[in-house]
Amino acid sequence: MKALALRLLPHPRWAAIAIPLAWMTVFFAIPFAIVLKISFAESAIAMPPYTSLLEWTEKGVQITLNFRNYLFLLTDSLYVAAYLGSLKIAVISTFLCLLIGYPMAYAIARMDPATRNVALMLVVLPSWTSFLIRIYAWIGILKDNGLFNNLLMSMGVIDQPLAILHTPVAVYIGIVYAYLPFMILPLYSNLVKLDPRHEEAAYDLGARPWRVFLSITLPMTVAGIIAGSMLVMIPVVGEFVIPELLGGPRTLMIGRVLWNEFFNNRDWPVASAVAIVMLVLLIVPIMIFHHYQSKGLEKRLA
Amino acid sequence: MTSEPGTGASASTAVSPAKADMLGQDNYLRIENMRKDFDGFVAVDDVSLSIRRGEIFALLGASGCGKSTLLRLLAGFERPSAGRIELDGQDLAGMPPYERPVNMMFQSYALFPHMSAADNIAFGLRQDGLRGAELKSRVEEMLNLVHMESMARRKPHQLSGGQQQRVALARSLAKSPKLLLLDEPMGALDKKLRSEMQLEVVNIIERLGVTCVMVTHDQEEAMTMAHRIAVMNSGRILQVGAPDEVYEQPASRFTAEFIGSVNLIEGKIEDDEPDHVTIRCEALPEPIWVGHGQTGYAGMEVVFALRPEKLVLSKERPEHPRNCFRATVEDIAYFGSHSVYHLRLPSGIKLLAHTANARRWASEQFTWNDEVWISWDDLAGVVLTS
Repeated sequence: MKALALRLLPHPRWAAIAIPLAWMTVFFAIPFAIVLKISFAESAIAMPPYTSLLEWTEKGVQITLNFRNYLFLLTDSLYVAAYLGSLKIAVISTFLCLLIGYPMAYAIARMDPATRNVALMLVVLPSWTSFLIRIYAWIGILKDNGLFNNLLMSMGVIDQPLAILHTPVAVYIGIVYAYLPFMILPLYSNLVKLDPRHEEAAYDLGARPWRVFLSITLPMTVAGIIAGSMLVMIPVVGEFVIPELLGGPRTLMIGRVLWNEFFNNRDWPVASAVAIVMLVLLIVPIMIFHHYQSKGLEKRLA
Repeated sequence: MTSEPGTGASASTAVSPAKADMLGQDNYLRIENMRKDFDGFVAVDDVSLSIRRGEIFALLGASGCGKSTLLRLLAGFERPSAGRIELDGQDLAGMPPYERPVNMMFQSYALFPHMSAADNIAFGLRQDGLRGAELKSRVEEMLNLVHMESMARRKPHQLSGGQQQRVALARSLAKSPKLLLLDEPMGALDKKLRSEMQLEVVNIIERLGVTCVMVTHDQEEAMTMAHRIAVMNSGRILQVGAPDEVYEQPASRFTAEFIGSVNLIEGKIEDDEPDHVTIRCEALPEPIWVGHGQTGYAGMEVVFALRPEKLVLSKERPEHPRNCFRATVEDIAYFGSHSVYHLRLPSGIKLLAHTANARRWASEQFTWNDEVWISWDDLAGVVLTS
């Protein structure tokens, strides 16, 4: 009897899974299902502004799936261009973050523990101010009579202000600035675990500094590079605020298109389709990330 | 090396003729007045050493004694504050580690985790521009040397501790270095594997004739592996000698206590004759009779050092007229091959005696609280003046 009762009760490990499962259901699966549903509907002047998928007829329930929204995304070059533009900006700014973040993370990891904590603090500190305010501040720095141009002109480097604001350059500056900590932190946690003896062993075996970096340090921190790149690239693809504030009309990113569809055109079904396609585009890099992470975990457990 | 006049016939000059033949010329590696300080902390203090070609030389000391810093100075990872290093006539000063003809086997090996055993061994050779068949044959040769042919393609995390060490040894020997450095070579191995690997590593190094400097805190390891040992403490070298010399003729109280266990009895020289001295000790009813002369003077404070295995236990008073005292067995530690007796003398001092259990059940001869006689030979102990 007792054994049967025990068997009927849920296994204790379910308790551990239940919380994240509930979280994912409420905040990811259900909203995703709603968005998916809307993407198959048609736009309508109603409240909410789309048609229902389910129709009650005398014969029963009739389901109407409407793929026109997805076809529309393919036929209108605006959307394809926006997706490509987003990916291009995401890839380039991830690369820039890596280029700037790697030496910084390396330097911090090699500091003595006391200064190391101060340096890490300085990396994280800007996040204590609102993201929006920090991006606004860049407008003040980059505009024609802003801090940067005034400085260069007073030094006599230029006599005409450089047009930086509302160009792709300004978007890259903003994105790299905002997302750099997300690159530095995973790289740092990877580099700080790297035993300096591995590098010393390579020096000892006759490798020059550059060779040591390429064949020992870099391969041993691949996991950190991937983690940092994913943390930067995935949110940058959907970034809306930075291109909206710093970019010009030519900076076409999917986040802005999405905003326009929802709030300007009030075409919820197309906006939902845009969001679903973006999600699918992002799932691929997430899967790669996950694959590497679990592989690294297996290696550590072995 | 301290060579006091009239130390006795057995413990004599630095190296016996047989050993001298085995080893090459002196001064193959010369360390002169080496000094290294880190922000005012002196890690290596005015160390001078001369190491012969083909010798296995051990730096022995507790952690923080400066032995590892000295090794890192040889490898080129640290810059000396003062002093010079000369290897085979070549000055190593200012030479970065990647240019030195010196290779090191690291503590816990530092094998590259993303490379196979063969690639680890090939790494150093590739830096020298070795490619293709030449590289392959050299890597195979090294794998054969350490009996790891079948493991060539395994990654370090797929190898056991002993196998990792073999790969690490092969990697550090692949470039035929003029000097091989071993940093705590057996530190990561369990006890049983350790004694096997000690002899195997020594055999490989001796077969190749590589000159080797090793660092260890384990005196057994130093004694088993090295031809000569340097005992270090707080950045200085206290004594250099063959393992038996360092053990049997310690130059100072520190060395005597650091290597093996020892009974130390404080006293003053009473009779100072050319062929013997006697030492009057408060702890003993009669003076100790030492069967050799001693540089010193009557009344000089000295410490008499006696190894526990040189102390003889008996139930009856031995025939021996000198150095016989009464004692009580206070504790017995039975180790199988030998027993350790903790003895208390009437004065209250405690002495240790190691007795080999040469006969079966020999350990049953003495038991707790037995009144016994202890005695030792005239030449069994060492008189320490520092």
